[in-house]
Amino acid sequence: MLNLKIRNPLLKIVGKERLLEKPEELACYSYDAYFEEAMPDMVLFPVTTQEVSAILKICSTHKIPVTARGAGTSVCGASIPARHGVVLCFSKMNQILETNTKDRYIIVQPGVVNIDIQKALEPFKFFYPPDPGSMNVSTIGGNVAQNAGGPRCLKYGVTADYILGMQVVLASGKIVEFGSRNVKDVTGYRLSGLFCGSEGTLGMVTKIILRVVPLPETIKTILVTFDNLDDTAKSVSDIIGSGILPVALELLDKTTINAIEDSANLGLPVEAEGSLLIEIDGVKEACEKEIQKIIEKVETNGATSIQEAKSDEERDKLWEARRTAFGVFAKLAPDIFSEDVTVPASKVPEMIRKTVEITKEYGLKVGILAHAGDGNMHPMIPADKNNKEEWEKVEKAFVEIVKAAVDLNGTLSGEHGIGLAKTQFLPLVMSQDSIEFMSVIKAAVDPDGILNPGKFV
Amino acid sequence: MKPKALQNCGKCGLCLSVCPVYKISNQEEASPRARLQLIKYYKNENLLSSSGLKEIISKCLMCGSCKAICPSGIDHYSQFMEMRAQMRKDHGEKSAIKSLTYLLAKESRIRLAAGAAKIGQKIIPQNFIQKYNLGNIPLKRFPRLNKKPFRQAVPEIIQPDRNKKGTLLYFTGCATNHIFDKTGFSTINILKQMGYTVIIPKKQTCCGIPMLFHGAGKQAEKNVLTNIKCLDKEDIKAIIVDCPTCGTALKDEYPALMQRLDKDVDAAKRISSKVIDIMSFIIQESDLKNFSNSIDKIKVTYHLPCHLKNSRKTSNNTEKILDKLDWIEYERAIDVDECCGGGGTFFYEYPEISKKMMDKKIKNAKNTGSSIWLTDCPVCRINLSGNLKRKDKITVRHPVEIINNVLFNT
Repeated sequence: MLNLKIRNPLLKIVGKERLLEKPEELACYSYDAYFEEAMPDMVLFPVTTQEVSAILKICSTHKIPVTARGAGTSVCGASIPARHGVVLCFSKMNQILETNTKDRYIIVQPGVVNIDIQKALEPFKFFYPPDPGSMNVSTIGGNVAQNAGGPRCLKYGVTADYILGMQVVLASGKIVEFGSRNVKDVTGYRLSGLFCGSEGTLGMVTKIILRVVPLPETIKTILVTFDNLDDTAKSVSDIIGSGILPVALELLDKTTINAIEDSANLGLPVEAEGSLLIEIDGVKEACEKEIQKIIEKVETNGATSIQEAKSDEERDKLWEARRTAFGVFAKLAPDIFSEDVTVPASKVPEMIRKTVEITKEYGLKVGILAHAGDGNMHPMIPADKNNKEEWEKVEKAFVEIVKAAVDLNGTLSGEHGIGLAKTQFLPLVMSQDSIEFMSVIKAAVDPDGILNPGKFV
Repeated sequence: MKPKALQNCGKCGLCLSVCPVYKISNQEEASPRARLQLIKYYKNENLLSSSGLKEIISKCLMCGSCKAICPSGIDHYSQFMEMRAQMRKDHGEKSAIKSLTYLLAKESRIRLAAGAAKIGQKIIPQNFIQKYNLGNIPLKRFPRLNKKPFRQAVPEIIQPDRNKKGTLLYFTGCATNHIFDKTGFSTINILKQMGYTVIIPKKQTCCGIPMLFHGAGKQAEKNVLTNIKCLDKEDIKAIIVDCPTCGTALKDEYPALMQRLDKDVDAAKRISSKVIDIMSFIIQESDLKNFSNSIDKIKVTYHLPCHLKNSRKTSNNTEKILDKLDWIEYERAIDVDECCGGGGTFFYEYPEISKKMMDKKIKNAKNTGSSIWLTDCPVCRINLSGNLKRKDKITVRHPVEIINNVLFNT
């Protein structure tokens, strides 16, 4: 428990309804979707920027660690209070402040759930493209902190590409704002790019102006199967290399498809070694032309079946299957090691081959899942963390997978983030000077290191 | 003890997106994921038992939405029931809940209590009834009890007038027996018209879900065994339920419980395979030609009970029927499948949360412009109608009642 000198002023800011401090309550904020855990000393639910500012003032005076949380769906442990202290949970700061599709923006508080933004825009026939697998539950604050991606980011870009402006409370409690409602804005540094993806280590985002785009006229979704993984992967680089830009190009291997099918019974092709879920959107005529081109490409690569979603219902089913993939793997073993290395699209076939080789070498089971169109790999290794021997193998295999990705000009994480999961691997992809430069920025903005300490910087 | 099953929660958080209580509070401890974690901490002795822990474990509607969406296939019900039993042991139970589970454990007690309550409804002074609430429901808006328990008002075997199609067992549940006898009369009438012989086993008793959900598994056992004995019959086509929660019990919980007790699982499974809710039975066995009528269309809206939505994968049969009947104009509320916050005794134990859920439901039901609100579940029905005001001019009915009224009872 926090010293009463600190506790009482904090209580005064939010009131007892929005402060948690009993062990059974705190325990609920000790985890997210990553497998490590750490107990906070207190959980606060601010609802205004002023409250956030007042809380941070007190915390920085007393050097209390502060970790932001939304819905707690981070898969890299970004919202785990590794150094205890205060968890600032934004789930109740969840108002949509302005929807303006004429000028193509929406202004939201950080606790708004991604899907609620979509629902608010739908009547105007607009949408907000970034669609992380957790979109039905994760908050936009978390999406911004992690620079969340998702399947359709292949065509539309990631969270950072949609931030026009934001309001941020710094560690000191100072409130700063930058950006505007304009797509073109070169007034000062583009700081949204700095805070987006900072995983709560630089400041607390309290208001976000997001760019929104019109819903496409037509969407076409197909599921293609292959009888080997190589052909599947090669189709990906062929499609991307041909100049077509699908909305999404998802790759699922046999293990993954079977895990999903066991759980959801959707009638997925369980025999196929590899499947591609491909979606394109745009004007009807263009879509038809593009889907033809795609079909040619996959047929050249030996596709064994091509199935088109005939209704919204069928399309939803396919995507639902894809979205539950992470969860269904939990059935296979007590823990899942979910990877997120990313390589240029042309290197996807090689990366998949390497991943299979490496896991085989260590005798591990692996499910290959990938936002393959942008090279964002999600191999998943079901294992038991309590089985020391097995877990050591998992960690060793992981290092080799990362190294393989780096050799292919890839990177450590495409969309999950670094958090607790990958800090030690940063030197594999960043020079000492580059890592130090991040520390310099961190020290300038948060000199006492109270914001999400214990993480990558 | 290593709770193996719990380790399989990937903590992905998908359950938060469907949990009605989380949606209202936006606090993790209200979520299914949190309850699973707390159970794990408690079992691993990382967290002490406390009344606060009991409160978190209890603040759950047992609606089953988490179980339905969980990609890891976790059986939340069993985890929660076991933990609820443990918490009840550690910290006792609110006296009202204790009395309820005590009463429901024996048919004679249920009858006695219903009788007493009926007298109670008569002798409670009007000004008291006008003023007081149970949970967030004003006493005056509670339904009147049946004049006579339904099962005593009808013969045990009811024959159809013509073309005999087979024999059905009808499990009436406590609500039809003591509160909503019109649901029972309507169900029988419809089944008769469809050509079925209906047997209402006299020995049946409360399905036991209220006890199981409140962690009083021991008390529930006897009920379960009694019901299994009188429902496990050869040569019957189906076992009809009019209450989705009874359906969940017979279909899902009985086999699971018998497995845990190491008793006759096969009998429970035989029963489970035959259980079907009345509306699903109607659409399965009829093309609805005999259900058409040339009267002016009646505008209705509907509330989909959680236990229909989550437990039996038959979710939308009532809506399908409403869409097909030529004398019904079905106006779908935008939140038709959102929980109403009734949740057995939830509305009584946590009125603030329940009320927030209910307010939304009422607003959206009113927006449909219907004066009839249909729902299959008796607790939903008490909750919906209890929260409506007289000036709302909306009545809540089981779908079979409107079908029977229009088609067969005129």
